[in-house]
Parts: sequence; structure tokens; C-alpha cells
Amino acid sequence: MSAPPILRGEGLTKTYRLGEQRVEALAGLDIAFGAGEFTVLEGPSGSGKTTLLNVLGLLDRPDSGTLALDGEDAGALDERARARVRLERFGFVFQTFNLVPVLSARENVEYPMALAGRGRAEREARARALLAGVGIAEKEDVRPDLLSGGQRQRVAIARALANEPEIVFADEPTANLDSHTAGDILDLMRRLNEDRGVAFLFATHDPRVVERARRVVTLRDGAIVARR
Amino acid sequence: MSVWALALRNVRRNRRRSLLTAGIVVFGFAAFALAGGFVSQTFEGLKDGTIRGGVGHLQVARPETFAGAEERTLEHGIADVGRVEAVLRRDSAVAAVLPRIDFVGLLSNGNRSVPYLGVGFDPSDEARAMETRTLVVSGRWFSSPSEIAVVLGTGLARAVGAKAGDTVTVFGTTPEGVLNAIDATVAGLAELPVKELNDRYLATTIPAASKLLDVGGTVSKLVVMLKPGARAEDAAPRLRAALSGAGLPLAVKTWRELALFYNQVRILYAGIFGFMGAVLVIVVLLACANTMTMAAAERTREIGTLRAIGTPPAKVRAMFVAEGLILALAGCVAGAALALLVRSGLNASHIMLPPPPGASHGTPIHVAFYPLTYLAGLVAMLATLAAASYFPARRASRVPIVEALAHV
Repeated sequence: MSAPPILRGEGLTKTYRLGEQRVEALAGLDIAFGAGEFTVLEGPSGSGKTTLLNVLGLLDRPDSGTLALDGEDAGALDERARARVRLERFGFVFQTFNLVPVLSARENVEYPMALAGRGRAEREARARALLAGVGIAEKEDVRPDLLSGGQRQRVAIARALANEPEIVFADEPTANLDSHTAGDILDLMRRLNEDRGVAFLFATHDPRVVERARRVVTLRDGAIVARR
Repeated sequence: MSVWALALRNVRRNRRRSLLTAGIVVFGFAAFALAGGFVSQTFEGLKDGTIRGGVGHLQVARPETFAGAEERTLEHGIADVGRVEAVLRRDSAVAAVLPRIDFVGLLSNGNRSVPYLGVGFDPSDEARAMETRTLVVSGRWFSSPSEIAVVLGTGLARAVGAKAGDTVTVFGTTPEGVLNAIDATVAGLAELPVKELNDRYLATTIPAASKLLDVGGTVSKLVVMLKPGARAEDAAPRLRAALSGAGLPLAVKTWRELALFYNQVRILYAGIFGFMGAVLVIVVLLACANTMTMAAAERTREIGTLRAIGTPPAKVRAMFVAEGLILALAGCVAGAALALLVRSGLNASHIMLPPPPGASHGTPIHVAFYPLTYLAGLVAMLATLAAASYFPARRASRVPIVEALAHV
């Protein structure tokens, strides 16, 4: 018997206005996502994969439908509670890395731990270990603007793992990386998934990511058209 | 990583903009501190001038005298002066008690008569406690407490054509309503700061006034000077109680209750400088709000990231407010240095200011150092920058996260 899903969305819809047009980003889809998964949401641009990732990551709210977190209605959570969930249970990796420019690599990794109230010594030790784990221990005091794209994404992954999340949401994590670096980053994520049991949910149309996925959900026009 | 540490890094991140914002605070604070010092000094000078110019810290008289209900000279005078003085002097805060006779009449040089406002006092006590003697610009002060002589305001002397050493005839009315006159020597001429008073001022000794008014031992009131550090507002109720306990039905008024001119000038100046201060705060607020709005707009995506990874909106706002407070603090420190420098320059310049309302002569500019005005400036700037930072930060922290993350 498999473990109950951490996230379960039912009938999720989301519509955006684009000038005079209404774009249906999510057209009433159902999805569940559990612990330890390594899942890719794939599809062409505008298929709704980033919107779905944002809704599942509690960065956005659906227009209708329900999203349950551990069986409880996540829609009932206020902004403060949603922020707490994102801080303590989720991690995020963005296409453009989104590191805080005034903080060094180690301080970027420490930041979520400081928000969670962890002590300085613990934060420093864990940040160093995480940076070593993603292969850039020697860059801990370097600010993001002096790091390469691959190094920045490694820092972003270390930051995403700072509070030992159950799920890391990664939106096009390889889009700004060269082919070789992208491969390294994906191998790293897969290793973290296998070694630490961290679940990864990607939104991408990069075939290299799709190749490494254990589960692939294909979206088109806001609906799931294939699962494999 | 505390909010303050992060805010400090962000302040240093865009040095030019931070310097511009802090620069606005520097000039705003310096203007506030200098204006505050100048106004406070003006109030202090006016207060001191009022007290030592003749009003004293307190005045004791019959209630009818204060009410201005006297129809005849000394109608409500104090006859038992010695007893009242003894009661007043028993209070440890009292430094001096100066009896006064107030009277009105005509001053004549034989050809021309001009109305005057007269005051009779003990010139020795007066010279010790008041600054009237220092106002003598021609001739001399009284040579003895019983000299039959007068000191005239320069305006009155001009009107009657008298100069020091001349003999003039002083007309007055006795309590019975009889016209009386004495010949008196003009000992000296005094330049009083208030023009209207300068044009009517006549001072003489108590014996001379008593002789003119044909009264013995009766005075209009007693002026009380307090020891340094004593407050008139504290001493007044004590003296009232002491006089009442001694069976003397006299009223006691503080200089603040009597100095209408001081109160009017204070209200006028407070209004002018209050308005200027408000304009200053608004200018600083708008200028700083503009730069903080730009800073918040430029960091929209960063704010989106911070919120995505779990930073509560309140913490985002606190970060921006902390940036504003750091800039305010740095600006105030530099502003204080600038204010002290400008203050030294102004005080050394000996620039003469025009006479204040009702005064007959100007004074050299002097900007005092009042720590309270610097503290008020600091509080005003901290509050202004906090407000200037809070509202742009609040707006930025309310942008939906996905919208903020997509911001270019």
C-alpha cells in the first residue's frame, strides 16, 4: 500500500487575463504528488506547467478546485501559514536562480534556516555541508554576481534543501545553463532524491530533465494529456 | 541574518541612491536643529528679558490691582509692605522682594507735557535683580535710594526734549484725586526694548514717587525674584498659601500669566516655525519616499523570491523600514555635525537681526545648542524615513508572489 500523497489537487482551474484575452492556464485538472517522487510536468509554453507548479507550491491560489496538503484544505491557510509551509516543508529552485545579491553563497543558504529560527552555529555548519554536498564548498564566501550560472544554481539547490524540505519545486532549472552544467545539476538533484529522499517536482520542457524523471505528467492547454 | 544586517547590506548596495537619500536627511536635520536652536534661544532670551526687564518671576498684589480695577492711584495698594515682605522672604526659593509703585501722569519741561507710565522702586535692589540699569544709554543710574530723580525712556525724553542732567516737572495724582507735582533731575536715559514702553517709561525712587503721590509706605505690588533653578509655577502656590496663612488677602501671579507680550510672540514664532518644520518634514518625506519607491520597484523580483522561500510580508516591510531608519540615523549624525559647524559660523558672524515684533532694536544672531532640538530632529527624521519606507514596502510586499517573480 503506497503512502498517501502530500499534495492532492482536484478540479484545479486558473485563468489569466492577457490584454483582452482570457487564458485558461489550468482547466480543471486533478493531480497528486507524494513523498520521494522525482516527477516532471512537461509540455509546451503556455501549457500550464508553471502555473500548476506555483499552485502546488502554495505560491499561487487556484480560481476553483481544491488543494489538500496532508489531506487538509490548503486553501484555508492564510498567507502567514502558507509562508510557514513554504519555509519548513518546501524548497524552490528557479530558472534565473533568484539568489539574494547582497548575501554570500553561504548566507543565501543560511537565510531560510535563520527564518526558521535555527541557531547561528547550526546554520553555518549545515550551510557549509550543503554547499559541499552540491560541490561548491570553496565558494561559500562569494557573492552570487561572481559565480557562474551553474554555481548559482547549485547554491539555489543548497538553499532549497536548507530546512530539509519534503518537496523541492524546480521551475525550468536548466533553462539558463549550458548542456554540460545542466546534466551535472540534474544528476545532483537525482542523487539528492535517491540519497536523501527529497521529492522533486519539475516544470520543464527540457528533454534532459524528462529523461531522468521517474514520472512524467504531460500538460496541454491547462489539462493533463498523458501520465507515464 | 538579522533584518538590520540585511538592511545595512542593501543600503550599501546602491551607494549613490543611499547617499542622495541620506543627504536629504542631513540637510533636513541640520535645518531642523538650527531652526530649533534659534527659536529656543529666542524664547529663552525673551523669557529672560521679560523677567529681568521688570516683570520678575512673580508679582504679589491685591486681586483688584491685577484686574485693573483701580480708579484712583494706589486705591488698592498694599499698606503693610514690611509684613508681606517678611512672609515672602521666609520662602527658601525667594531671592529678592522688590516693592513697586505704579502711577501715571504728565511729564513737562515747562513748555510741553507728555503722558508717562511711572514706576517707583528701590534703585539698589532693582540694579541687583533686574537689568533696567544696563539699559541706561545716557547719563547715570540713581545715586541713592532716596534721590529725587528720574530715568526716562529715550522715546519719552525725545518727546519732552529732555536730556540727562536736565530738570523736569513730574505731575501725578494723589489717591484723593489731587493734582501734585515735583521737580526732578533727569539722572539718565534708558533704551527699553519695547518701543511703546520706551516712549512712555519713567522710573524714579520710592521716596520720590511717595512724595509725588503723597503716600507713605503704600506700594502697588511686590515683585519677587527667585533663586536660580527655582520655578515660578512651583513657588506661586507656596507663597499664596503662606500669605493666606498670615491673613494677607493678596494674589500671586507668575511671569507667564503677566507677560502677554511674551505669550503672543511665542505663539507667533511657534506658528511660523511649526509651519516651516512641517514643510521641511513633508519635503524630506516626499524626496525619500521617491527613492524608497524606486528601490522597492527595482527589487520586486527579489521580494518575490524572499516571500516564495517563506519570508512573511511583515518581515519584508521591516527590512525596508530598517533601511530607512539606517539612512535616517546616518543622515542625522552627519546632519548634527553640519548643524554644529553652521552654528559656530553663524554665532561668530555677529550678523544683526531686525527687531522682533514690538521691539525697538535688533540683536546679533545666536543659535543655541539645545540637545532636545537635536533629539526632536532625530525622532522626526526617523519617523519620516520609517513612513517613507513603509508604504513602498507595503505595496511591494502585497504584489502576488508569482507576479513579483515574473517581474523584469
